Amino acid sequence: MADFDAIVVGSGMSGGWSAKELCERGLKVLVLERGNEIVPERDYVDQMPPWEQSNLDRISEDEIAAHYYKQFPGVSYAVKESNKHFWVKDDEHPYETAAGTEYDWLRGYHTAGRSIMWSRQTYRMGPQDFEANKKEGIAVDWPIRYEDIDPWYDHVEKFAGIAGNRDGLPQLPDGQFQPGFELTCAEKEFKSRVEAAFPGRKVIQARVAHITAVTAEQRELGRSNCQSRNRCHFGCTFKAYFSSLNATLPAAERTGNYTIVHNAIVQSLQYDEVSRRITGVQVIDAETRETRFYSCRVLFLNASAMASALILLQSKSTAFPNGLANSSDQVGRNLMDHVSGAGASGLISGFENKTIFGRRPGGIYIPRYANITEHDKPYMRGFGYQGSATPLGNAGGQIAGIGREFKQAHGAAGPWRVSISAFGEQLPNPNNTVTLHPSKRDQWGNPLAVFNVGYGENERIMQVEAGKDSVAMLKAAGCTEISSRTVTLTKPGNRIHEMGSARMGRDPATSVLNGWCQAHDVPNLFVTDGAFMTSSACQNPSLSYMAFTARAAHYAADLLAENAI
Amino acid sequence: MKTRREVLQGLIVSIGGASMLAACDNAARVAVSNSQSLRFFSDQELALVSRISDLLLPRTDTPGALDVNVPGFIDGLMAEWANTRSQESQHRQLTELGHMLGADFVTAADAESTLRELDRAAFSGGTGYGGYRALKGLITQSYFATEEGALLEQHWVAVPGRWDPCVDI
Repeated sequence: MADFDAIVVGSGMSGGWSAKELCERGLKVLVLERGNEIVPERDYVDQMPPWEQSNLDRISEDEIAAHYYKQFPGVSYAVKESNKHFWVKDDEHPYETAAGTEYDWLRGYHTAGRSIMWSRQTYRMGPQDFEANKKEGIAVDWPIRYEDIDPWYDHVEKFAGIAGNRDGLPQLPDGQFQPGFELTCAEKEFKSRVEAAFPGRKVIQARVAHITAVTAEQRELGRSNCQSRNRCHFGCTFKAYFSSLNATLPAAERTGNYTIVHNAIVQSLQYDEVSRRITGVQVIDAETRETRFYSCRVLFLNASAMASALILLQSKSTAFPNGLANSSDQVGRNLMDHVSGAGASGLISGFENKTIFGRRPGGIYIPRYANITEHDKPYMRGFGYQGSATPLGNAGGQIAGIGREFKQAHGAAGPWRVSISAFGEQLPNPNNTVTLHPSKRDQWGNPLAVFNVGYGENERIMQVEAGKDSVAMLKAAGCTEISSRTVTLTKPGNRIHEMGSARMGRDPATSVLNGWCQAHDVPNLFVTDGAFMTSSACQNPSLSYMAFTARAAHYAADLLAENAI
Repeated sequence: MKTRREVLQGLIVSIGGASMLAACDNAARVAVSNSQSLRFFSDQELALVSRISDLLLPRTDTPGALDVNVPGFIDGLMAEWANTRSQESQHRQLTELGHMLGADFVTAADAESTLRELDRAAFSGGTGYGGYRALKGLITQSYFATEEGALLEQHWVAVPGRWDPCVDI
């Protein structure tokens, strides 16, 4: 008799969904979280007004140098003095990169993981994203198509709460939306001018995981509508944005089937060569260093794409000398993120006597048009832009003027600033890897991760073109003082859209997982974080992780009910 | 609240300038935190930052930068937040800025026009104004991070409760 029906490794974006769906199917579930417990009433700092923050909420430079030397430069917009407890200390969680490469591994180790600090833009993948690898002969074919995941997008959207407009775009399918955040007047004008100049392009509302018309189910979980505070990176007392802690974990808990253990760092997954099944998980307590074993009937890896691959690589046995479920040698390969660097900003006139009220999440989104509605591109795939058009105000003091006029510029008549930034698809490449360091270990005895990731020509060319396109659109919109950036690609990992490290595919010889996120080699092992992604598309991926997780959890529950695994 | 005249006198006395006090007899422009508790600025730097803060964000129908002790806030921030290199850089930039503005800027009757001219140059593509632009940013952000600046001047609302994308000013 196993300790639990199911063990879920990780309580973040996808782990919360595994826990919820499996618990709701009546399974006894244990969630293993490597970090400490976050208690919203104690640890959210979203209610702190600006004047109670110290030093403009900046972490001291010496402290950054000692503890946040990767996290802060990577996510400086979100890593603050008041919420630094949501980010790992780099000196406590080191990793290595291959000579001549860089990697931003930006993390939070605690209840709900990075679902607390994410930026909440939420898009479906489109039919083209599941077909591209096969059409273009890149990597391996996705084993499923859009139609397979479509109902699961519906399923997770209804529960999570997604605010957005139904735009009717085939490449960015509509979903179960709550009312979106209306475009500003300048954004509406930008939209009409860009769409007139470029008939294949659309400017739409960003779709965000925020409640705007709370449902009965969401209310039961203590959630309420977004209050337009823009305090999301500090937690949300209103539980208005989706996170595991605001939504899925409480839903799992109320079933009575849910147990979570914190400070439980996985050392290995135990594999039984006779039954050819995982029997359980060996963990070490982060605080006491005590080791424990938990047995289970089915295991869901949701540790994050990188950490899940590392756990598989750490779990060696006679049957799997190169890591569990790794007969294909694809575990830890094909690492993908999204690539940014291109973008532009400028001023738009005509709205001097208008302003905005409230601080919405998200702004505008320009869905991918490259190789969808426009086919003249010197690169494959494409990118989307995130952006906004809002009053310039005093621009943090970076406008001309002194005295009364300058002091009151924050709310005075003036120009608006348009800004857009590209997020591009990264092609899968088997030589983009995460591996175990041969000798260096962390303080708990686990091998350090070694990243060896770079961008290819397609990503480089795409970003340069995205930069040109961004300037062209701002020009077409009549913007002035357009400043475009020299395109410097973001470091791999920097967009925190980690994926691909245990891809799904049709052939066990070339992929780790089947179309249900189930390991080809080990039937009671499911990996449903970003690791399963066969290609990256260019949309922010969290919604896909949620949908694939829910689908896999129900499939696993069916198999367990049939005693098939 | 002390009158500006009172805090001005406190500052001038603290930097030892009885003659300066006479020089700006009718220029009640400078206020400052208790300079005895300075952690980062020298008295001269504090006088400079205070003068600039007051000219940038004067008292209107809402408190000015000096009323909410922006110079003292920045003094603490530079002591606690900045590392040694940033501190040295800030000292250097203030020295350079002092030279650009002139030796008698702190007490000069035409300080406002002097700063206005420098500001115009700094925001019309001029080079060499990085120190000034950074200080202006710091003063502005510090002011709006105070309770008075946020609530009285910026009308910051903790819980807007709604999003209105287009409002008449």
